[in-house]
Amino acid sequence: MLPEFDLVMPENLQQALENLGQRNPGVVPVAGGTNLTVDMRSRRHTPATLVNIEHIQELTGILQEDDRIEIGSCVTIAEILKSPIIAAVAPALIEAARGFANPLIRNRATIGGNLADASPAADTAPSLLVHNAQVELWSKKNRRILPLDEFFVGVRKTVLQPDEIIKSVHVPKTNRPSASSFYKLGLRKADAISVASVAVYLEKKNGACGQVRIAMGSVAPKPLRAYAAEELLTGKHLSLKLIEEAAKLAAEASSPISDIRGSAEYRRRMVFVLTRRLLTHLAEMMELKDW
Amino acid sequence: MAGKYFGQPILRNEDAQLLSGKARFIDDIDLPGMLHAAFLRSDFAHARIKKIDYSAALKRSGVVAVYTAEDFGDFWRPGPLQVPPPTAIKGSVFNARTLVPIAKDKVRFSGEPLAVIIAESRYIAEDAFDDIIVEIEPLDAVNDLEKALEPGAPLVHEDLDSNLAADVVQERGNYEEARAKADVVISRKILVNRNAGAALENRGFVVEWEERSRQMTVWATTQAPIPLRNTIAARMGLFENQVRVITPFIGGGFGPKIMTSQADDVLLPWIAMKLKRPIKWIEDRRENFLATTSERDQVHYAEIALTKEGTILGVKDVFYHNTGAYDPYGMTVPLNTQTHTVSNYRVPNFYTQIKMVFTNQMVVTPVRGAGRPQGVFVMERLMDAAARELNMDPAEIRMKNLLIPDEFPLRTGIIGQDFVEGVLDSGNYKKNLEKTMEIVGYEKFRKEIQPKLRAEGKHVGIGIVTFTEGTAVGPYEGARVTIGANGKVNVATGISTQGQGHFTSFAQIVAEQVGIDVKDINVVTGDTAHFHWGAGTFASRGAAVAGSAIHNAAVKVREKIFSLASKIFEEPEENLEVGDGKVWVKSNPSQSMLLGDLALRANPTRGTIEPGVEPGLEATAYYGPPYGATGAGAVAMIVNLDPETMQVKVEHFVIVHDCGTAINPMILEGQVYGGISMGIGNAFYEKMVYDDNGQLLSASFMDYLMPQATDMPAKMELGHLVTTTPLNTLGIKGVGEAGAIPTPAAFVQAVEDALHGQVEIMESNLNPSRIFEYLQKKQ
Repeated sequence: MLPEFDLVMPENLQQALENLGQRNPGVVPVAGGTNLTVDMRSRRHTPATLVNIEHIQELTGILQEDDRIEIGSCVTIAEILKSPIIAAVAPALIEAARGFANPLIRNRATIGGNLADASPAADTAPSLLVHNAQVELWSKKNRRILPLDEFFVGVRKTVLQPDEIIKSVHVPKTNRPSASSFYKLGLRKADAISVASVAVYLEKKNGACGQVRIAMGSVAPKPLRAYAAEELLTGKHLSLKLIEEAAKLAAEASSPISDIRGSAEYRRRMVFVLTRRLLTHLAEMMELKDW
Repeated sequence: MAGKYFGQPILRNEDAQLLSGKARFIDDIDLPGMLHAAFLRSDFAHARIKKIDYSAALKRSGVVAVYTAEDFGDFWRPGPLQVPPPTAIKGSVFNARTLVPIAKDKVRFSGEPLAVIIAESRYIAEDAFDDIIVEIEPLDAVNDLEKALEPGAPLVHEDLDSNLAADVVQERGNYEEARAKADVVISRKILVNRNAGAALENRGFVVEWEERSRQMTVWATTQAPIPLRNTIAARMGLFENQVRVITPFIGGGFGPKIMTSQADDVLLPWIAMKLKRPIKWIEDRRENFLATTSERDQVHYAEIALTKEGTILGVKDVFYHNTGAYDPYGMTVPLNTQTHTVSNYRVPNFYTQIKMVFTNQMVVTPVRGAGRPQGVFVMERLMDAAARELNMDPAEIRMKNLLIPDEFPLRTGIIGQDFVEGVLDSGNYKKNLEKTMEIVGYEKFRKEIQPKLRAEGKHVGIGIVTFTEGTAVGPYEGARVTIGANGKVNVATGISTQGQGHFTSFAQIVAEQVGIDVKDINVVTGDTAHFHWGAGTFASRGAAVAGSAIHNAAVKVREKIFSLASKIFEEPEENLEVGDGKVWVKSNPSQSMLLGDLALRANPTRGTIEPGVEPGLEATAYYGPPYGATGAGAVAMIVNLDPETMQVKVEHFVIVHDCGTAINPMILEGQVYGGISMGIGNAFYEKMVYDDNGQLLSASFMDYLMPQATDMPAKMELGHLVTTTPLNTLGIKGVGEAGAIPTPAAFVQAVEDALHGQVEIMESNLNPSRIFEYLQKKQ
């Protein structure tokens, strides 16, 4: 059963930010509530006041700008899944949405909520990381834009201040030939927390690998990039050997724990396997394979 | 055996109500003035209770009362021994420490109730948790089954010398002599992991005490309405007919709902009587994981002795069985393990020993399979190890040792859960295996398909196992069948229903006898006001035991129809026929009477009746078997394993099953498929994990994964064989647990085969990471 709480229903973003403006940790924004209500029912989290931002217009919708798209923080996973705009710019995010929980949760859960919750297993994080996404954070007094990589601090910890909310997520567009992909390894085909997940973004430049970005989930206190692996590949022709070396570097960059879903050794190995598979797949897709 | 109704795949009577959301479940019950209960549960698995101060909770608006063990005075006492140990097994040790309704002085498992809060709403009751101050001294927890018996281990029950709950040895023949003669002896340590029943609907309890009529009504999600009624009446000092237990529609049982001595069963009737207001408690999922019973968890040291030709000479199995913090359900589960370890194979010498252990975990009682999957897993693993050692095909070594029909009835020499020596009544075990091999294409897979796929780098494997399912145990069930003046039939029996389709299958049994359409037959289960004798729904016994009682009653009603109509028509009984709701004279069908009209005539209100004639087209009958009927089958499973991620896909699943006569083949298939999904869950998805402190790490559906439709085999095939049991007129054996029993054994064998026999796996629950660990250890 949910503990007692006050519910505030602001009509617009300004009102919501006013409500959060006292920087009171007992006042918490809520949208889909798919994480928060679970925590509240089990009384792990008992905020005194919930500010419902779910229907605030400024936080909904997917905007097309010249150089980026802006996904409102209250856009649901189901909306992402059927967005042609996102499919064109960030295919890996579509793949993440497809494997996200189940249809009921996808109808409620929002992209902002998934990031603000900051689970190491957050399904949208690796894909957004490889697309160099930024988060736009608003408070009553302040607005700032941060690279997503700087947003996460640790297990369920972010730089988000008590008076701040995520206004939107920016995903840059590119004119260069590129592709991205995401794979989540769970203990069940659907509706399972990932044991390990990897996203890869790849650009093609002069017949070789241009910019490349690799990100991993569930294998460290926060979703993280595999910078050393990326560096190794940039500007190179993609041989199977090189891909394996990069996958090894990605695995080395992970720092998984053992829990009931899998051992640390298994997870580290899966980073290697998934990174290699995704790189191979994208190299084939982009006609970059040098083998 | 199939008739117009009996044996037909008739759509279920209950589905229109269930599928349109018009069925009443326990949480739909809302009574005027109803209060709500919540249990404050211990976070610690093993601890001494110093003090519980709830004075602040009583001050919270909306809280009506709070009780701890002390507040119940003399009413607090350990619950009944719901299943006594079999006294027939000589030299056995059994230490009864039955479940206490609420912890007193000491906590023995995480989730054990410390206080019960009664409030105007469940929200308020749970808010009051924060007001209660519990002073506790944590103790070291007992979790490891073997360490639990070592000297110096912390004691779950300090009045005992050790954590040993039971020690039972049964032997037929002489294993040591057989071992001495054997060419090959194979010993293994085998683990069977812990699983939950995890019914979709949790438990629930609503109780109302009506002071003026001195009647108590209980709505409960119980599998044992009559035993629950009896124990409540006894505890409250009431007559049985002052307590009415009603089971509304129930969303799954799977075993744990058989318990009649959990906190809600015991405490809420007492509180309702005291407060003179109805009380409702609906369990939440976390409570269900922590404090509703669950099963499996055994450690076996098993040994098989064979000739070099692969003939079994003997089996020895010494196993530790986790009973949890208490043992209210006796030894049902480990006895089932003993009776199912070697039941399908010819094993002349068999030594089996139970060491039942108390731990600081939730109580263990049957969950679908109930000890049988453990026995089958151990034996099938031994058979696979033997096949490898002797370089035989797994199917070949099984075929060689399976019992044949000529050997039945076969006395097993092993006493089981019904306290009598097991007897295998009938079956055709080799045919089960043959048909399974044929459907799955075993030879072709081994000789052509697998080598080809392996050459392509695929890791495909096949598992093939056989099993028996002891079902339909006593003591008895009863039923009353009544034809009403409306021409419809009412059937009442004492068992309850959790989704098995009784409202249809029982109606089919009756329809066949009285010639009234299944749709016009109303079956009442689980209402002690309608029928008040019986034991309950467990051990795959509903269809065979209650079904046989219903059949016996329906036959009596048929006889009454013929007897009365014979007098009215002045025709001998053999000239009469019954069907389509009427009885008529065969030679002159226009001479007929509606059965409703006949029912009225059977209950005259004036005049006289002949001596010995009982009124109404009604009869009550009972059925109790001398011992249970044994179903059997075989399973084959082809899996495809990703050698890097260790994810396993079940490509093809075949089960050939023999449960005697089928009442409704459609319902039967549903039962078998459901059991298979549970078996697949047990093998690869579902696992209850306790840490060293006795904390359950998998206490939600986020961490305790059940397989979903997407995880079911790509192709599933079911083959039926029918060997009727001589134990009941209808020839029915039970089927409820069939699919769950063999599946983990087949799964593990298939995974080993997919890995080219690189590793040997001796535990029942795998996941990708665990398979990875096996391969790592190998390297």
